[in-house]
Amino acid sequence: MAKTVTFTIFRYDPEKDRKPYYKDYQVEIRRPGMMVLEGLNQIRWEQDGTLAFRRSCREGVCGSDGMNINGVNMLSCITHIEDLKPPIVIQPLPSLPVIKDLIVDFTDFYKKYYIVKPYLITKTPPPSDRERLQSPQDRKKLDGLYECILCGCCSTSCPSFWADPEYLGPAALLKAWRFIADSRDEGADERLEIVNDRHGVWRCHTILNCIEACPKQLNPTQAIAELKKTIINKKF
Amino acid sequence: MLGKYFGPGRSGAFDWYFQRISGAFLVFGLFLHFAVLHFFTEPPLTYDKVMARLSSPLWKAFDILFLVFAVYHAMNGFKLIIDDYVHSSAMRAFAIGLLWVVSLAFFVMGFLTIISL
Repeated sequence: MAKTVTFTIFRYDPEKDRKPYYKDYQVEIRRPGMMVLEGLNQIRWEQDGTLAFRRSCREGVCGSDGMNINGVNMLSCITHIEDLKPPIVIQPLPSLPVIKDLIVDFTDFYKKYYIVKPYLITKTPPPSDRERLQSPQDRKKLDGLYECILCGCCSTSCPSFWADPEYLGPAALLKAWRFIADSRDEGADERLEIVNDRHGVWRCHTILNCIEACPKQLNPTQAIAELKKTIINKKF
Repeated sequence: MLGKYFGPGRSGAFDWYFQRISGAFLVFGLFLHFAVLHFFTEPPLTYDKVMARLSSPLWKAFDILFLVFAVYHAMNGFKLIIDDYVHSSAMRAFAIGLLWVVSLAFFVMGFLTIISL
């Protein structure tokens, strides 16, 4: 008989349930190296079609399936079942409103993301004969910043983000630094003005949950520290 | 917004920076206190010896400076907690107002104690 693992999953349908509850499912291990997402698919396709969760690329690129697994935010599609201690407890990303089961409402997360102007700002005209070039050294400065897939694992793992509903959060601040650090960008002053706020960089207390949660091994705390350093150097 | 008169008119940059500076000064002050009291004072340590040192204006000035930094550091620490968890303008005004009253009371108490030595 094939080995099974228990998945304890957070279930909540606001239209039907008075309050959330947890339900156990038995997932059959059908191949070595099975991912949590495969287990969720198995439940949805073979046991309980009402289970709701987001997924798309199933290889850690789209960032759709961020969820809280055994207490840590991660992507279900790149997390091996055998690396987790059973029973595997799966909950939606903390602090965002639950739409249904493991699906949360990202509206607030994106709103904060747009606040930091996550796009290249230029004031000088581009060269007439080619695009804006960047030296390999300057390009290298963006490594560890540009790879963010907006899964929300970092921000929703941050206690400051839970406590202060207006805190921009690590994902937005990492993005702010990604553009400020870009040699082609000319919007540093306006972005620094935005993040230099009670609900901006100063709410980060270097708790480091964001680093642990990031499935792309990025370091938002470091980016926030760079933002703080830049602001302090400008001001004092 | 009443809130802006209680801190957020400043962004938080000053608070963050001077929390570190005051923290560094407190560590320095604490080590100095330890060194002077336990290593550079001829044992046994007596009340008279301590009082003799504390009557010098230079030590009083140092202690007042230490008091300023300690009260600032503690007050700012509590303000950070208020910034984290208290979000309604009225509650913030009350909490930060109370913090000012308590901090000033502690400062006055400490100041009077030092200068009366």
